[in-house]
Amino acid sequence: MNSGISGAAMTSAGAMAAGRKPRRQVSQPMAAFALLTPVVLLFGLSVIYPLFETIRISFWQIRGLGKPSYVGIDNYVRLFTDPTFLGTLWTTLIFTLGVTILSVSIGWFLAMLCAFAPKQTAVFRLMIFATFGISEAVAGYIWIGIFRPGESGLLNGMLIAVGLGDWSQAWLGSGTSALVALIVAASWSAVGLPLLLSFAAVQTIPRTVLEAAQMDGAKPLAVVWYIMMPLSTAGARVAIFINLLSALRAFDIIFVLTNGGPARATETVGFFMYRESMTQFNLGYGAAATIVLLVAVLIVAIPAIAQRTKGAK
Amino acid sequence: MVYRAPRWIIIVVGIIACLWVVPIIGIIATSFQTPESIARGWWHFSQNQLTLNAWKKVWSDYPLANSLWVSTKVTLLATVLTMLTAPAAAYVFHYLRFPLRRTSLIIIINAFVLPQQVVIIPLFRLWREMGMLDNIWAVIIPYVGLSYAWSVFLVKSFLEDFPNDLIEAARIDGCGPISTFTRVVLPNLISPIFACGILQFLWCWNSLLLPMLFLRNDVTLTVLLARISGTYDPNIDQQAVAAIVTAIVPLLVFLIFQRQFAVGNRVSSGGKE
Repeated sequence: MNSGISGAAMTSAGAMAAGRKPRRQVSQPMAAFALLTPVVLLFGLSVIYPLFETIRISFWQIRGLGKPSYVGIDNYVRLFTDPTFLGTLWTTLIFTLGVTILSVSIGWFLAMLCAFAPKQTAVFRLMIFATFGISEAVAGYIWIGIFRPGESGLLNGMLIAVGLGDWSQAWLGSGTSALVALIVAASWSAVGLPLLLSFAAVQTIPRTVLEAAQMDGAKPLAVVWYIMMPLSTAGARVAIFINLLSALRAFDIIFVLTNGGPARATETVGFFMYRESMTQFNLGYGAAATIVLLVAVLIVAIPAIAQRTKGAK
Repeated sequence: MVYRAPRWIIIVVGIIACLWVVPIIGIIATSFQTPESIARGWWHFSQNQLTLNAWKKVWSDYPLANSLWVSTKVTLLATVLTMLTAPAAAYVFHYLRFPLRRTSLIIIINAFVLPQQVVIIPLFRLWREMGMLDNIWAVIIPYVGLSYAWSVFLVKSFLEDFPNDLIEAARIDGCGPISTFTRVVLPNLISPIFACGILQFLWCWNSLLLPMLFLRNDVTLTVLLARISGTYDPNIDQQAVAAIVTAIVPLLVFLIFQRQFAVGNRVSSGGKE
């Protein structure tokens, strides 16, 4: 506040010279109320209310439009004895870790390679980063074309072209290969962010360090391993966190590419809750699964929440 | 001495980048070929014929034009509403003092971890009771409400570097809290507001879950694409056109505004330079 005095004095003199009278001021709480009302209403309606309502519903049995009945923690007990849901938890773990590891390691490695020649690789970075602007729905659709059975699928077509035609198959037809396909497809569009963030982090390394390494005769891969990687972990950490969260919450790409199949082998918790509540109309059961997802997300997000809470002044 | 990059690095990055866009080239090529050519594989360019058939037929076979209109309407309204309301909230939280200020700020900026799945059951029941299903506001309201978690945070981060002198000067000149906001702060917030707008535009246009559940007859492009991409629909050439139409708008926005996007992303992810 003190820092403002000199500037304030000058401008107030200016205002008096212009002959303006100070107007009656609205009190701060009043102004806050007026400006915040739309935000509070919309936030309350689309975040606070649904959050508490989902928690409440998870203790009820609600089937479609039928009469709800209070069942206590039965929904949760059922979830953790339901082999389908336990399989879903496993799938969620593999999918989330798979997408995060694959996308961050590719993005980070590419970012370090690009840092050797930032100007010459600008177009290439943009080509890869552009997939980030493509929706999961479109990405899912695009990858259907690649994993299509028969010779019209690109992957099968490539296998046939290199003489491995025997390996061609319906990639989305078996549980294991469908899950791998899903991870590859989701990673394709998730590489952009780690590339962007890691590249920004690598760029902060002084050029002189790289030049010194080259004068000492370090090979590019040694520079990557001993200099760039340790000095750009900050960017990669943020990317790991964001990709972990979004993979954990994924829905769109699963819905379009595999629809949870075959035989529910690619259903994650975020998809399971959709299937239970919106196609089977077990709203209470679906809500309980949602709360399990929420708890998982919160556990992953604890450091970020702590950081934001500390920084909230 | 200047660091000289070995040529092979540029070549490796180039090859990976080209591999990365192959799937995109795939749907573009598919959209210009006949169903027989697609069955053979779109990459057999020498044998396949090009045709504009799918691009002509798709508009009558699928409600693509209508979905384009719905997507545009929903996305623009949600984007403008976020751009109008989030800066006001950021200003209030940063400069005004009122009861429960810090508590509500902490709740809002931490809501970014919330999965969309948490929203759908309660809102589905609420919209059904209110007869709001199939109304575009059923989607726009949660789009805007969910955006505050990051949009308020993004604008507020920008305000941390805002010169306090200006606020003081405005106060002494007789500006109340509201006119300080509209006359002094708002004109200086153009770049974070645009960053919010671009992020919100991309996110809303690309969303699938909420419009799929809350809209029935007039659906957005992503929902239309998800509906027709099932295995039962044989018109792969026309699906490809729908996919391109769905992807092209956010891709253009993204490419044109990528610089602002990078700025917004850096701030919203908590890293500061």
